[in-house]
Amino acid sequence: MRVPFFSMFMTSPFEGLQEHAEKVKECAWVFQQAIECHLADRCQTFEDFRQEVIQLEREADVIKRRIRGHLPKGTLMPVYNFLLFRYLREQDQVIDAVEDALDWISFRSEPGIPAELEKEFVTLADAVIYPIEELSKMVAEARKYFQNYSEEQRVIIKNIIRTLRQQEHEADRAEDVVKQKVLNMNIDAVTVFHMVRLAEIIGSIADYAENAGDMMRAMIAR
Amino acid sequence: MTHAYIVLILGYIFGFYMAWNIGANDVANSMASSVGAKAITIRQAVFLAGILNIVGAVFVGSHVTDTIRKGIVSTEIMTDPHIALIGALSALLAASLWVSFATWKSLPVSTTHSIVGAMIGFGIMAGGFNVINWGKLLAVVLSWIISPLFSIVIAFIIFKIIVRLILSRKNSFDRALRLSPFFIGITFFVVVLSFLFKTPLGEKLALESQAAVTVAVLLSVLLGFGAAVLLKFLVTDRASGAEAIFQRIQVGTACYVALAQGANDVANAIGPLAVIYFLVKTGNVGAKVPVPVFLLFFGGIGIACGIAMAGHRVMETMGKKITTLSNTRGFSVEFAAATTVLVASKMGLPVSTTHAAVGGVLGVGLARGMEAINFGIVYKIMVYWILTVPAAALTSMAIFKILQIIF
Repeated sequence: MRVPFFSMFMTSPFEGLQEHAEKVKECAWVFQQAIECHLADRCQTFEDFRQEVIQLEREADVIKRRIRGHLPKGTLMPVYNFLLFRYLREQDQVIDAVEDALDWISFRSEPGIPAELEKEFVTLADAVIYPIEELSKMVAEARKYFQNYSEEQRVIIKNIIRTLRQQEHEADRAEDVVKQKVLNMNIDAVTVFHMVRLAEIIGSIADYAENAGDMMRAMIAR
Repeated sequence: MTHAYIVLILGYIFGFYMAWNIGANDVANSMASSVGAKAITIRQAVFLAGILNIVGAVFVGSHVTDTIRKGIVSTEIMTDPHIALIGALSALLAASLWVSFATWKSLPVSTTHSIVGAMIGFGIMAGGFNVINWGKLLAVVLSWIISPLFSIVIAFIIFKIIVRLILSRKNSFDRALRLSPFFIGITFFVVVLSFLFKTPLGEKLALESQAAVTVAVLLSVLLGFGAAVLLKFLVTDRASGAEAIFQRIQVGTACYVALAQGANDVANAIGPLAVIYFLVKTGNVGAKVPVPVFLLFFGGIGIACGIAMAGHRVMETMGKKITTLSNTRGFSVEFAAATTVLVASKMGLPVSTTHAAVGGVLGVGLARGMEAINFGIVYKIMVYWILTVPAAALTSMAIFKILQIIF
């Protein structure tokens, strides 16, 4: 404190945001592996993948609380702090939804996803992988933008946001296909409920990623 | 006169100590942006700050010294040389004590505020509350509020201009190069004016204010375009955009800050020493006595020694801590801080360099230029700022009593 000049510079919340986004990104690969494993016959490692996601979610939660806890009133940032918090919430919900999806599968791991639906679920899972991965890139590009305020940089971020929106649309469609097919299959009601709900949870991953994109759009607004 | 000479020697020692402290602690405020933004290395910062603090102290500094010496405390009390002598010494001792205490306890205490507080304390002890020129004191206190605000506004505007006219445009490198004469020019304009106004150099040249402004404008236009041509040859790294250009410009603003700091802060160290010096040499202090150049030089050397001996360590910590500062931000901070300090120093107001630098950072922060700046720290700084003046005054009073018993 002897040198007030130093004390003004605090740890940037964007560092935490980036770290959090990396955790979300790590989740994407594990999620994909878990789904593929679950669809395969005699899957042994689904539970390991699920535990890994739970661990990642816990770590992301710690980062989230650290960011929230270290932003005193009157912190000057390139964006309003409520926008930052809203963004963080959406980004955190992505990882929460991934965990929820795997949890939901684990609640009724047998008989699992019917063979007729496997292809549709693979399409749906693939549609949400890209949004999960893209968030960390978006945060990194945004940090660059807040450094150089260049229009070209802004366009890069806007393109990422646009892609997130398109991906969400595709995930929505894939979700609809699954639901439509499940509801018209001649199977027991519990499986129908399990599958519909699963499709909804997986679909929500892309929703949250899109919401995060919307928040980012607000953050980079001029 | 033996007593007087002992006091004079003590005055030199503590005056030097104060100057040393300014160099050791406050240099961080002036050089932080440049070192943090990697425009200059620590070694270069130490060298530049040392030399330019001396130059600023000797050629631009005399005016503030006047204010501290006889502006706030009326010259009436100087009629008794004995009281004035121990008074000035106690002021110097009290300020030194406060700065040492602050360094030990890591408190953000300004040397400027310490010395002003100590002078008030001695004035009250020597001649009661009547000898304090409250109007003048109010002006000084007001300047302490206005100077950070002024710095905030300048930094905010400069950074907004940089974003609007350079960063957000296509091909920011070329834009920065084309506009660099403007940024370099305004810097030179303030520097040249400060050399010409109310300095021995200005008096020697006997320039009217209008002529001085004309000279400053002409010189700054010339130097601005000259430097821009030089930049074209020096900076070839187009890929890093405007920052590469501002990295070079920042070398200039770093010098600008060091110069302003020397001009402003030297008074904190040698203000009371000047009083002691005149009392010992002439037996009394007249209404108007110029501060001898060698005393300013002595103060400048003291600051330079502080920078050379301890500034290095402070700046090393700084380089590690401030990593998010880019060159455009650093330029805005430094330009705002130095301009504020130089203008205040020319008006004879003893403002704090630290507060001007803090104001500069806040200005850029408010312009959304920094990833995270703690605005709350300002309230803390303000508390210490309010406490420093009475605390230094009380210490000075106590020391005055003790010295009165001894001598």
